[in-house]
Amino acid sequence: MMAGAEYDVIVVGAGFGGPVAARECAQAGLSTLLLERASTPGQKVISSCTIPFYGFLFGPEWIRNGEPPIERPISGIRNIFIRDGKTYRVDNSFRVPAPLGPRIAIGYTVYCRPFCTWLAERAVEAGAELRTSTAAVDVIKEGGAVRGVITDGGEELRCRILIDAEGVQNLVATRAGIRKPYRPEVIELCLLYDFEMGKEDIDRVCGYNLEYFWAMPEEGMIAPLGRGSAVYIFPYRESIHMTIGQFLKADDGEVLNVKLLDRYYEKFFQTDRWRDLYEPRVKLRARIWDTCPIYAGLYPDQRNMPTFGEGILLLGDAAGLEAAAIADGVPTAWFSAQIAAQTAIESLRAGDTSASFLSRYDRRLREHPLITALISDPHRRDLAQAAKSGDEAEMRRRVNRGWGIRLMGHLAPPVMRAVYREIRRDARVVKSWLDMFNRYWRLYA
Amino acid sequence: MGHPYSFEEIPGVTWIPVPEPFISVDASRCTGCGDCVRVCLGDVFRLRNEKAEVASLDRCMECAACLFICEAGAIHFSWPARGSGYRSEWG
Repeated sequence: MMAGAEYDVIVVGAGFGGPVAARECAQAGLSTLLLERASTPGQKVISSCTIPFYGFLFGPEWIRNGEPPIERPISGIRNIFIRDGKTYRVDNSFRVPAPLGPRIAIGYTVYCRPFCTWLAERAVEAGAELRTSTAAVDVIKEGGAVRGVITDGGEELRCRILIDAEGVQNLVATRAGIRKPYRPEVIELCLLYDFEMGKEDIDRVCGYNLEYFWAMPEEGMIAPLGRGSAVYIFPYRESIHMTIGQFLKADDGEVLNVKLLDRYYEKFFQTDRWRDLYEPRVKLRARIWDTCPIYAGLYPDQRNMPTFGEGILLLGDAAGLEAAAIADGVPTAWFSAQIAAQTAIESLRAGDTSASFLSRYDRRLREHPLITALISDPHRRDLAQAAKSGDEAEMRRRVNRGWGIRLMGHLAPPVMRAVYREIRRDARVVKSWLDMFNRYWRLYA
Repeated sequence: MGHPYSFEEIPGVTWIPVPEPFISVDASRCTGCGDCVRVCLGDVFRLRNEKAEVASLDRCMECAACLFICEAGAIHFSWPARGSGYRSEWG
């Protein structure tokens, strides 16, 4: 082993969460190292990514007030039902009505590489050191406490607090003995297709809507409900992203064959909507895949795994904070990154990095108005029941509750609590929210 | 590091050859169930003599599905060294 440098804080992973924690630690004057295994941040991050508005409103101010590389504002979710390969119903119920939308958006699509690069640049700007092409492959432990990492090059990098933002694979947290790997029942393998498509065509076909396609299992078009996701189409600036996912293992113990994902796509490409509206206008650009945690928050054994230990804090996917509600973990990664940075700063000022001091991190995660609501929302699970019932009307009802207008029923209360909390801190925040929507619209248009 | 390469059937992805293997199977633990073969979209694994082995890391997208699925704990999964492995602009 080679002895390397020593830092106040080492952050592992420059995805969506890591750079946020690194910037906030560096801004507080802590010597901070941000480690990234890819040669460019975001090149090994794969997501069909729509970052919901609440990530921007209640997450880091410097993202809200900045000019991040967004692709397209999203102001609605279109649920499309397929039977015998044909669209038989399009439900446009969930959308921000004109003239507010799409300028007032429910989210923004982004590509991971430019977005994570932008976040990492903001961390460097604040004084953090970024080291790319460097993987943390093990931890340094002394007397049960984490004191640093060992890199793929065999270098020992020491720190007083390690912030683990590694993502779903959890190698660092597993090596540190803090968590067990996620169970395969809560891991979805997502196969993504990226297509180039002209902006005018996207305007005409998708507008500013995400398109979610739903079908009963016998269509063979998507993983049987409850065993995976719908078919999602996310419109970007001059491209669309599509994703179909399937769990590694069903609740009944069956290990699912991933080769089925290609078959679902083949079936989907035969539907009328794809053939008539998309196919003549798109050009395939990428076929990529990755695992993501889904529903982990619904299983007590997964939700109650530790998020901290002696000298270490975990955030985002590495801490089990995926979002089951809207299939997007970025807001929870941002919220937890901010709380982790705040806790690390306090801990180093107090000169106490013990687990008992750091336990306030976990308490703050649980007190956060949105995090627990997002990771433990059961409505997507409902679809498994709908599939078993074999009743299309029942499926439509449940889709509407999870992704339609009735989504507001369970999303609005935690969002309103967060709004209230922010306004109580500083009422001027409302102006910064409105400024953000306008600035992002200008960035897009 | 060798020359970057890609595959026609996996557009939008470039691989930098890995200097050393980062996934391996512990044959003494492997039960030969084949789950790693079933969940891998990159055709990394094959079964031989009722044991799984790494056939090729060429198409590995580092998703770790193999690590999650292996009940026997036979998969050793690390990260490819020095920024090698896959990269994509379109994630």
